[in-house]
Amino acid sequence: MDLSLLPQAIVSGVLASGLYALVSVGLALAIGVIGIVNFAHGEFFMVGAFLAYQLFVGFGFDPLLSLLFVAPALAVIGALIYLSSIRFVLRAPELNQMLLTFGIGIILQNLALLIWGGDPRTIANVPYRSLGFQVGGVSIGAVPLGSFVISLVLVAGLYWMLASTPLGRAMRAVAQNRIGAGLVGLEVDRVYLVAFALSALLAGLGGVMIGVIQSPTPTVGLGFTLKAFAIVVLAGLGNIRGILGAALTVALAESLVATLVPNGDALRNMVFFAIIFVVLVWRSRRVA
Amino acid sequence: MRGLTRDLVVTAALAVLLVFLPAVLREVFGRASVSYLSLATNALVLAVLALSWDMLARTGQLSLAHAAFTGAGAYTVAVLFKLTGAPLWLGIPLGGLAAAVLALGLGSVTLRLFGIYFAIATLAFTEVLKAAVQRLPTAVAGGAAGINVPALFRPTFVAGSMERWEVAFLRNQGYFWVYAGLLVVAVVISVVIQRSRLRAAFTAVRTNEQVAGVMGVNPARMKLLAFVLSSFVAGLLGAVEAHRLGSVSPDGAFSVHTTVLALVTPIFGGLYTTLGPILGATVLAGIEETLKRTFSEGYLIGYGIVLVASILFMPRGLVGLGSKLFKRGGASASGTTGERA
Repeated sequence: MDLSLLPQAIVSGVLASGLYALVSVGLALAIGVIGIVNFAHGEFFMVGAFLAYQLFVGFGFDPLLSLLFVAPALAVIGALIYLSSIRFVLRAPELNQMLLTFGIGIILQNLALLIWGGDPRTIANVPYRSLGFQVGGVSIGAVPLGSFVISLVLVAGLYWMLASTPLGRAMRAVAQNRIGAGLVGLEVDRVYLVAFALSALLAGLGGVMIGVIQSPTPTVGLGFTLKAFAIVVLAGLGNIRGILGAALTVALAESLVATLVPNGDALRNMVFFAIIFVVLVWRSRRVA
Repeated sequence: MRGLTRDLVVTAALAVLLVFLPAVLREVFGRASVSYLSLATNALVLAVLALSWDMLARTGQLSLAHAAFTGAGAYTVAVLFKLTGAPLWLGIPLGGLAAAVLALGLGSVTLRLFGIYFAIATLAFTEVLKAAVQRLPTAVAGGAAGINVPALFRPTFVAGSMERWEVAFLRNQGYFWVYAGLLVVAVVISVVIQRSRLRAAFTAVRTNEQVAGVMGVNPARMKLLAFVLSSFVAGLLGAVEAHRLGSVSPDGAFSVHTTVLALVTPIFGGLYTTLGPILGATVLAGIEETLKRTFSEGYLIGYGIVLVASILFMPRGLVGLGSKLFKRGGASASGTTGERA
């Protein structure tokens, strides 16, 4: 174990946590407000990444510019999925809802495989990709830093929206009591629709950024679904406030294991799964 | 118990049918029977996979870890023949046992997880197992590249007395019979569950665990029993599949594809029944073959669409649809009430 790498590991972990928070906050929104555990959430992320790639290849759009196009596109995709399927299972057994979203995930992933094939896609020639600077032996890349800042701004925006806008209040009311919210005149169905579209939109924006950071394949979605689950489960299912802390914990744990444990890079995924597993099992024991 | 006898007679008839199917295909289709036989084998694989998943689902545990147990079976076989000179047919039962032991371990940890939480934990488990196998010493588990597995059947070409394609036919026929045997094992387990008090116990645990406890059913024991039985069959299947494919690798053996097939098929055919998974497998194997020929990548999209459509339009699957049609037509449904065996 090489402790001189510790500062770098911590900085990388913190920078990654922004993106993780962005992905998982959308999942938490769907769970908290609509009560749908969306197994297709990571696929929104993947779709965002590939739309950014397509905009780059087709029109030479800079990913930063693509953010403006991917956001409405994902909101529309999310809304369509809600209207065509999710809406009909809101009162169905929990497991039917889960299987439905799992099926939607399979469709999205394989649609992407049909369109783009299985090879990784890189958004090449981004001028700021290799930019970065050094602070006391720790290198900070412009892209991770930028994605961290953008993600935090978006998550903060969501928090603000939930706290102090009529729409946000409506979402919180629906989350607390669906029937009560309906009784005081809220259009519950509309709120659900907006919440689901917003959830897809946030994931899609995260996807654009990962499209720049990595070279994604159409199968990255499941991995991000699981990462988001790890964070959401750690924060408590449906708890939106706790996401930031949980994302930071998970990202730091991943970064520390990957950097400090010999040959730890292959263990990255295991960290998430270990967290999911331990938290779920520990919670269930405490309840029992 | 009369129901059980009837079901076992039907199972025996099915077994006889499967024994003679290859010969019939050969007579009717000649050379083309080679590919028909492998299509039929795929249907059998799918049926066994689906039936084993359904056994677990009967206790309300919707597993996203089925690939972990087929993978455990496959790797047991692969490591066994890599390290020792064990007899060729020993690997299959050992693969089943290894998967059952693994299920006992996982099951006793996840006993208290309900519904969604169980699903999330099992999905995570598969990935952990895959990563663990990848990290085992290459000398034992072959690393990311995997291990070669000896074939169960190596028919030799005898010039003059047979044609070239008959070698492939004999090979396919061997595997077809092995899988037919597996299907019979799975059906017998499933039928015994459905026709004994276990069915009531499983259903009670699925619908309301607290009430089940009050009624004198031990939910923990029932869930573990279902998990072990289901995984044992899945492990056997994975072990045979390792022989048939000739090699195992972490990505292939623990693929999400396996889990997807395992859960879509019974949902499409009809959950919590013996007939449903088999019916679903028969239809889906045909659809899959067509899709695979049309698209090289992404053919799984068909399964996604089937899954979504089943949940939205026929939550009780083909079996539910069938019994509804029968009742509407006024035909006597041979005294079945609600679910069929």
